[in-house]
Amino acid sequence: MSVATPSAPEVIRPIEADPVDDGPPPGAPPPRPDRRRWQPPWRNPWRRPWILEGFTWLYLIWSLAPIAIAVLFSFNNGKSQSAWQGFSVRWYWGDPVNSIFHNPMLRSAVEQTLRLAVYTTVIAVPIGVAFAIGIHRWHTRTSTSFNFVMVFSYVIPELIFGVAMFFLFTQLFTFVHLGTVAEVLGLVTWNFSWPAIIVLARLVSVGSSYEEAAADLGASRLQAIRRVLIPMLMPAIFASAVLVFASVVDDFVVVDLLSSTANTQPMSVIIYANTHGGNGGPALNALATMMLLFSFVVVIAGLVAYRWMTRGERGSSRHDAMTSIAGM
Amino acid sequence: MTFHPREGWSEDGSRRSHPLSRRTFLAAAAATGLGAGLAACGKSGAASPSSTTTPLAPLALPRPDHPVTWPLYTSNTAIADGLQPERNATLKIYNWVAYINQKDLDAFGKKYKCKVELTTFNTMTEAIAKLRSGQFDFDVFVPTVDVLGQLIGAKIIRPLNHTYIPNISQAWPQYTSPFYDQSWQYTVPYTIYTTGIAWRKDHVDENPYTMANAWAMPWQAKYKGKVAILDDYRESMSLGLLKNGLFDLNTTSTTQLQKATNSLLQLDRLVNLHIDNNDYSNVPSGQIWIHHAWSGDMAAAAGYMPKGTPVDVIGYWFPTDGKGPVGNDTLTVLSGGSNPVLAHLFLNYMLDLPNVLENISYNGYMQPINGVTPQALVADGILPPSLTSTVVLPSYFDNGLRELELAPAVDAQWNQDWLRVSGGV
Amino acid sequence: MWDDRDRNRWVWAAFAMPGIIWLAVLFIVPFYAVLAIAGGKLNEIFESPIPVWDPLHWTAANFTAVYHDFVGQSAFVGPIFVRTLVYVAIASVLSLLIAYPAAYFVTRFAGRRKVLFLALLIAPFWISYMMRMLAWIDLLQTDGYINRALVDVHLISQPVNWLGGKSITVILGLVYGYIPYLILVLYAGLDRIDQRLIEAGRDLGLNRIRTFVRITLPLSRQTILTGMLITVLPMVGDYFTNQMLSGSEATSMIGNVIDSQLNTASQESQGAALSLLLLVFLLAPMLYYVFQTRKASREAV
Repeated sequence: MSVATPSAPEVIRPIEADPVDDGPPPGAPPPRPDRRRWQPPWRNPWRRPWILEGFTWLYLIWSLAPIAIAVLFSFNNGKSQSAWQGFSVRWYWGDPVNSIFHNPMLRSAVEQTLRLAVYTTVIAVPIGVAFAIGIHRWHTRTSTSFNFVMVFSYVIPELIFGVAMFFLFTQLFTFVHLGTVAEVLGLVTWNFSWPAIIVLARLVSVGSSYEEAAADLGASRLQAIRRVLIPMLMPAIFASAVLVFASVVDDFVVVDLLSSTANTQPMSVIIYANTHGGNGGPALNALATMMLLFSFVVVIAGLVAYRWMTRGERGSSRHDAMTSIAGM
Repeated sequence: MTFHPREGWSEDGSRRSHPLSRRTFLAAAAATGLGAGLAACGKSGAASPSSTTTPLAPLALPRPDHPVTWPLYTSNTAIADGLQPERNATLKIYNWVAYINQKDLDAFGKKYKCKVELTTFNTMTEAIAKLRSGQFDFDVFVPTVDVLGQLIGAKIIRPLNHTYIPNISQAWPQYTSPFYDQSWQYTVPYTIYTTGIAWRKDHVDENPYTMANAWAMPWQAKYKGKVAILDDYRESMSLGLLKNGLFDLNTTSTTQLQKATNSLLQLDRLVNLHIDNNDYSNVPSGQIWIHHAWSGDMAAAAGYMPKGTPVDVIGYWFPTDGKGPVGNDTLTVLSGGSNPVLAHLFLNYMLDLPNVLENISYNGYMQPINGVTPQALVADGILPPSLTSTVVLPSYFDNGLRELELAPAVDAQWNQDWLRVSGGV
Repeated sequence: MWDDRDRNRWVWAAFAMPGIIWLAVLFIVPFYAVLAIAGGKLNEIFESPIPVWDPLHWTAANFTAVYHDFVGQSAFVGPIFVRTLVYVAIASVLSLLIAYPAAYFVTRFAGRRKVLFLALLIAPFWISYMMRMLAWIDLLQTDGYINRALVDVHLISQPVNWLGGKSITVILGLVYGYIPYLILVLYAGLDRIDQRLIEAGRDLGLNRIRTFVRITLPLSRQTILTGMLITVLPMVGDYFTNQMLSGSEATSMIGNVIDSQLNTASQESQGAALSLLLLVFLLAPMLYYVFQTRKASREAV
């Protein structure tokens, strides 16, 4: 913000000599040290915030330790999920019966998860983003009420939503059979609110001044949207895509209700209800680790894509991409 | 409506948390006159449960002293004799979670040159809802006894052609004409189990075998935080009944139910009661010291013992006079399946002793096949000697108490009382 | 403004349309199904709910049953509902107290390591919630690492039975489950606060704490409200945390009751009715959020 300095009326003043400090007059006691020059360290407003940083690290440890343990035990040599029995990759591909690679149920679960996550993200994000843009600019009762409906879909307990979808597909829209199609439809509806809320929040802070500037420069509305608005929303779009992907990978309730046979049951369902004895145990951790890996890969890929797409336009900040992503 | 040991089950030794799980089996079963009136339910495309306009025959609730012969319908007949098994087929099994050994499925597939696909369900409610929608072509289903009425009336399962299932001769004789399916028209038996009390001998002083009323064992404040009952409305309400010396586990009496409810509410407060179906892992891990438990789960406890703790610290009690809950599951062939011949052959396969032993070694639950004796199980290393009390003997079915179908209003009452006791957990 | 006096509002309407149609068909219609079930009847054989589509034929039977669950002789839901509100209140305050400093640190002071911190903050989203909870259950066992560590540093003398139906475990579980969302929202909001405003505050002589209280906090008010709404509302319907970490009736939440009812064929309609009541209860905060966003979007231009 530039503070506009009100221009003072022109006044001509004679140039005065600056007062010169010749030191204390002779005979006077020596000057006391200027207390304001030395401050105790904790008064320094620009000091490093140790307490906050420590607190944040503590939080992160609390948050991530279970993940580390879960991933660790996916490499457990034995069947236990709590007693370390040595390192091995048996649950991934080593074990001929129970590893993810060899157990058809687990393998198809991995495929189904990927399928659902990709389809849902690819459908939900564009529709959600468009919805947010439209709702933000189009001020009518309809748009406000659908904004409310969207928020409602976020708040409603997932189980009742799942039950409602089950009824929908088995009694009303029976041409849609339970299975992957029903799962995707249910998941998109359930995750629709992510891109909508996130992009809307970003739109609120961005405002329309940039597009107006573009319009002043001669762009048509659609051009302005395409070349100004969408790029500005990219971080929010990206963030919401990540969240939708992660949410689908982890979703269980809706998917279970709308699944049909074993090959439409994704990893989350298997994790929640799996075989025991020789088949369960660390194989689940392996599945969860794979879920983690997928999400990670998607985020990295998205990050790279984002940086590539905005390669000519980025600011000087090195971490611009990541921070603007979360800047939503 | 009975409970089922796999209701709301989840492996990996953790607390079961299946949102869709828990409890209840399709409540209703009260097979109210499953007559032809139910033809509309189930198979039609737009399955609507509201087609109850046709008048229904009087209630047919199978009881040990009122055996039932299910009707056979012309629109739902058994397959013909002498057919060849389907080629290049995928046999689809619809079973509880973790209730059948994958090895058995693989071996069957190899033998009959077909693929075998296992789909699991977590609650009977979910399973029946999906079957009724008519969108699935599963071949084999594993229902409990109490929902047979609904399944038969809605023609979801088809009558069996006995020529494909000669191994029935290996089953205990009473299963050729059980009271819930005289002349085994629709079912063959699958697993059998009892419900008793499992306890940790190293932490609990009392021995239920010497107690006057062992069903009251959980009601001890000194074990606060270490007591659990099963998350199943029939089983746990029955525990309440049994503790009060009431032995009709299908009671319609509200006074009896009230007594049971009050005892359980008291138990809630007394010991900060846990409610879960993880008896097979919580007792071995020491998290729970007294657990209302299923026999098959405890039989498998050896696999969940932490290093260094021997399995004989675990005890399982079932009343010596046999007056405790017993039950069994069945295997059935679904009418909507595309591989009925293979389905019959599968049923036959699961009545054969070696396959049965293989299955028991996996899920711990006994099957009523000749040759499955405590001695055989111990000798094969399937059962630890200290847990032979989990074995189900044929005589148990003489005195045992069965949890069977209830009329809808009664069933709703049981469910409501259970909701009060459990608070939804 | 760009949008209001825009003659061609059809553009914005066109953008919103696909979403609107989707919501209408795949959310409003199923939601109507919930109403139809709540106001409907029960199939006599299967005891499963029969939706009644005509509003004129809706019955109040299920709502009456829910009413009796709250009030009367066999009531039991009242204490559960109150307990839920208490848990959620404590959990949300705790979440805020933990999330805010962490988000604040990462936005203001992380400097070069912002990317790293951000990745770590987002990490919980990528692994199954169930897996994290299972890991916690393992840690919280009577002989698990938590107890061992606490005994070793002499904070407790005996191992605590964390999983034995304790409220504190459930509350911390709720915090654990929902805090990543809160942190992300707070991060986004705090990140938007102009650094220059803070510098201006410093220039005017405020020390750190005062800068925070008088500049940062008011500017983050909207963010805090949004974040709380987004975490608190789903928390009220949560049932999973209690099931996993406690399994005891003493700590059950309203979500458990609804879950249980929806899984019992004879009680499904009551479950639908109770869900609707819960949603009505949450209506006020939801409307507040919607109107706040509306207001903020008008003001931001």
